[in-house]
Amino acid sequence: MFRILALALVSLFLVSAPASAKVDLSGKTITWVVPFKEGGGTSRFARFIQPFLTKYLPGNPDIQIMHIPGGGAIKGSNYFQENAKPDGTFMFGCSTSVIVNVATGNPLVKYNLSKYRPVALLPQNTHWFTRSDLADGPHDLSKLKERKLVLYALKTPASADLFHIWVFDKLGIKGAKPIPGLSSSGGYQAFLRGEIHISSHGAANYVKKVKPEIDKGGVVDLMTLGIIGADGSVTRNPLAPDAPTFPEMYEQVNGKKLEGDDLEAFYSIGAAWSQASKSLLLPEGTPDEIVEAFRDAATKMVADPEFKEKASSALGPFPLIIGEEAGEIIKKASIFSDTTKEQLNAALEKNRFTYRVQ
Amino acid sequence: MEQFLFSLAQLFEISHLAFLLGGTLLGLTVGILPGLGGTSGLALVLPFVFTLEPSHALAMMIGVLAPTTTSDTFPAVLMGIPGTSGSQATVMDGFPLSKKGMAARALSAAFTSSLLGGLFGAVILSVSIYYAIPIIMTFGFGEQFLLVILALLMVGALTGENFIKGITACLLGLVLGSVGSAPITGDPRFTFGSLYLIEGVPLIIVGLGLFALPEIVGLLDSKGSIAKSLRGEKGWLTGTIDVFRNWFLVLRCSAIGCLVGALPGLGGTVVDWIAYSHLRQTAKDTSGIGKGDIRGVIAPESANNAKEGGALIPTLLFGIPGSGNKVLLLGGFVLIGIEPGLDMVTTHLDLTYLMIWSLALANILGAGLCIGLATYISKLTLIRYYILAPVMICLIFFATFNVNRDWYDFVGLLTFGLIGIVFKNYGWSRPALLIGFFLSTKVELLSYQTHAVYGLSFLGRPVSIVLLILCLGTIFMLLRQKFDQQYRPDDIQDKKQQILFVLVLILFPISVVWFTSSLDYRANLFPITLSLMSLSLLTLILAVKAIDYYKIAFRKSALVRFVNVKIFEKNKGIAGQLLYFFSFISYLLMNLLVGFPIASVIFINSFILFHNRKAWTISLPISGVFLLIMWLLATMLVLQFPSGLLGAFVDLPWWLGGELN
Repeated sequence: MFRILALALVSLFLVSAPASAKVDLSGKTITWVVPFKEGGGTSRFARFIQPFLTKYLPGNPDIQIMHIPGGGAIKGSNYFQENAKPDGTFMFGCSTSVIVNVATGNPLVKYNLSKYRPVALLPQNTHWFTRSDLADGPHDLSKLKERKLVLYALKTPASADLFHIWVFDKLGIKGAKPIPGLSSSGGYQAFLRGEIHISSHGAANYVKKVKPEIDKGGVVDLMTLGIIGADGSVTRNPLAPDAPTFPEMYEQVNGKKLEGDDLEAFYSIGAAWSQASKSLLLPEGTPDEIVEAFRDAATKMVADPEFKEKASSALGPFPLIIGEEAGEIIKKASIFSDTTKEQLNAALEKNRFTYRVQ
Repeated sequence: MEQFLFSLAQLFEISHLAFLLGGTLLGLTVGILPGLGGTSGLALVLPFVFTLEPSHALAMMIGVLAPTTTSDTFPAVLMGIPGTSGSQATVMDGFPLSKKGMAARALSAAFTSSLLGGLFGAVILSVSIYYAIPIIMTFGFGEQFLLVILALLMVGALTGENFIKGITACLLGLVLGSVGSAPITGDPRFTFGSLYLIEGVPLIIVGLGLFALPEIVGLLDSKGSIAKSLRGEKGWLTGTIDVFRNWFLVLRCSAIGCLVGALPGLGGTVVDWIAYSHLRQTAKDTSGIGKGDIRGVIAPESANNAKEGGALIPTLLFGIPGSGNKVLLLGGFVLIGIEPGLDMVTTHLDLTYLMIWSLALANILGAGLCIGLATYISKLTLIRYYILAPVMICLIFFATFNVNRDWYDFVGLLTFGLIGIVFKNYGWSRPALLIGFFLSTKVELLSYQTHAVYGLSFLGRPVSIVLLILCLGTIFMLLRQKFDQQYRPDDIQDKKQQILFVLVLILFPISVVWFTSSLDYRANLFPITLSLMSLSLLTLILAVKAIDYYKIAFRKSALVRFVNVKIFEKNKGIAGQLLYFFSFISYLLMNLLVGFPIASVIFINSFILFHNRKAWTISLPISGVFLLIMWLLATMLVLQFPSGLLGAFVDLPWWLGGELN
């Protein structure tokens, strides 16, 4: 009871604080467009954050989440572009696929992602692992490189899974062959049945599903994408401290540091895949004071004790990035240089895909 | 075990119980309304479940599914019309009992055996979950591929009146499901540049169109017979005692129901007949069967509720549906973010157990409500259908809009509604079409995946061999039984139209081949192969029909006679049904003009008044109550009504379709 009272007092105080005096959303309903189906990662992200934002936004507006799945996230994103008003009553739930559509030049894209105003960004990370009979430990690629056939799951080349093709190509795994149409969870099942050889998962599912198998001994870590800092440094993922990052693995395999075009491609891929995994954006042309009010609410949300308690199991281990820094990352992720595109297309061609990055 | 009990505790939270009860009530209602069954009921619920928590949504969906086969006994016993396809055999003895004045005894025996059968199914399902992990691990791509193919074959062969037409319907469903972006290459197939078709038509829309609309127009047209009231009927206790006296029959029929339910394709349509014929073969005294023997009610009713538990096994473990309503259940899983397979018995084990408990409880609730409120519930069968139908149509439209908030979905709904009406009247299997449509992507992907991992060697794996033998044997046995001696094609009037319809159908695979032929081979191999297969079967059907129609000499030969069985369907007034169908188009146009709330009021009133000019005392309050319920739903679920052209010119309040802010 005391807690509720205290919360009420705090929120009263917040409403009357001078910073939010200019922006007042009381009585408004905010529509949060999520271009995916219910229950997906972005939907869960939105649903987890929704009550906290209501609590900390000036005027405690209602937030309704509007799912518009379809067309590989293009339908909902285009809907947002055409219908969102820049007055604080519309938010956008962005994810890697939304960004990849822009980065790979999908002609159906009508949304102007780089102009959107970022509020907060939630990073993720990718873990690769293999069966324990195919690698002696996290640094060992030798057995996989000798194999004629190394199968892995690939949903479709027109999605972020495209990056797997590039990764295995750069590591020189000659036998690597994608099995199309497998989601990461379907792929993981096939991996456990012994039908495919390398599998991958995001951090949340890695902790929940893969870690127990690693502890049992049937599965070993191969590597992680690594955590990319603001200065471009790449550090190991704390969830799998023994596993090398992709740049480490690259250096071990190729005998030289990851640099030049390859490094540039890695940064772009890392930004899209890992750093900008999920994000909350406001429409193009939203006034600064509204953007500030949202960023303010996000900052307060992160400090909320209830948020702190539940965030790591609901959102994963990585902290939210709030403010302009988030905008830089999204720009890096959504604009691929021509050399990066060439690299991706070369990897696609080697694997006999007809799809090309534009 | 701990999780098993934890889920039970979770189920008894008030919110879960409320959703389960809500679902159960809806399930009971759609079961009573003749023709509508679990498939239509679930299709109505799905557009709303995605706003719910997964566990609530599951409780609700199971609540809708489980009791339809309990309450469908009302029309079977009282009117002699099966409420769902699962209670056809119940009519055999239930209706004669009712005519003898023993309706109450028949109903209570049916509900009690439904209850016991349902519980048996839930027990078997929980036991099988316990052994699921090794089963899933032995089913690789190859085995799954075979399982899907077998499911399709069996559904096609068994749900169609004529097995070649059934398999063709499956193939057409597969081709239809391949419309959209190709899963391997991402190439758009047969989409004509539209974003709507790239995703393919949503499953729920296909389900509503194929099942709900045709049943509604069918009943409108037949102007269903009026049931008698149950007032003052005695014998409720006798019926229950009958069941316990025949406990061994209940047990055997429940086991049959479970087993048959677990085999894809057999489920809904034949399980009651299998139980009924089992009774005829094993009973010592068969003289009364078919003339009002209580065992003739007990046997099919215990089997058709037990089958739900059995049918959930392949659904949960492999994502392979055995019947139309399981297709929609799987569609619901996708919506709330559950992927069938290993997750169901590992990370989502709590949800699986929750489903099992919901299944058991929904059966208890369903049977309890049916017995307790029988006098009132039976009155539902007295309602004139022209009063119910417009309300159902408005509800279907509302549900449709909430799938994607896309006007194109209405075009999809009406298109599939038209297909459904013609399919139903001309004897083409709708479940086969729906399952083919749903499994299409899976078949395509599995064929690539199997090829990439195994080549052809998967056929030699032990489980594969067992699967192949199992299925071929079952099909062979069932085809022999389907040889219907009483079929007299010469009675059928509109053969010409039915032949014409085949010609229309032929156009579809031809155009698919035409429009996809220029794509990459990995994008068009699947649709073109299946199109060619369905094309050859359609040609065969056309030939057989022509042989029959023109009375060509060798139509007496044994093989032609065998293929000829039920090649034509004696349809019951397709013209009248199409007329009703066109009134729905006018409702859609009204929606486009004035928005959903106003259009619905106009539609409900004019529909009822058209049938009975003096009925405005009924139509006005009904449309009023309908609006109230819609407003309540919209506020609860934060849904916005479809607003029409009017909304673009006039600033409407939200309850007439205006914007929320």
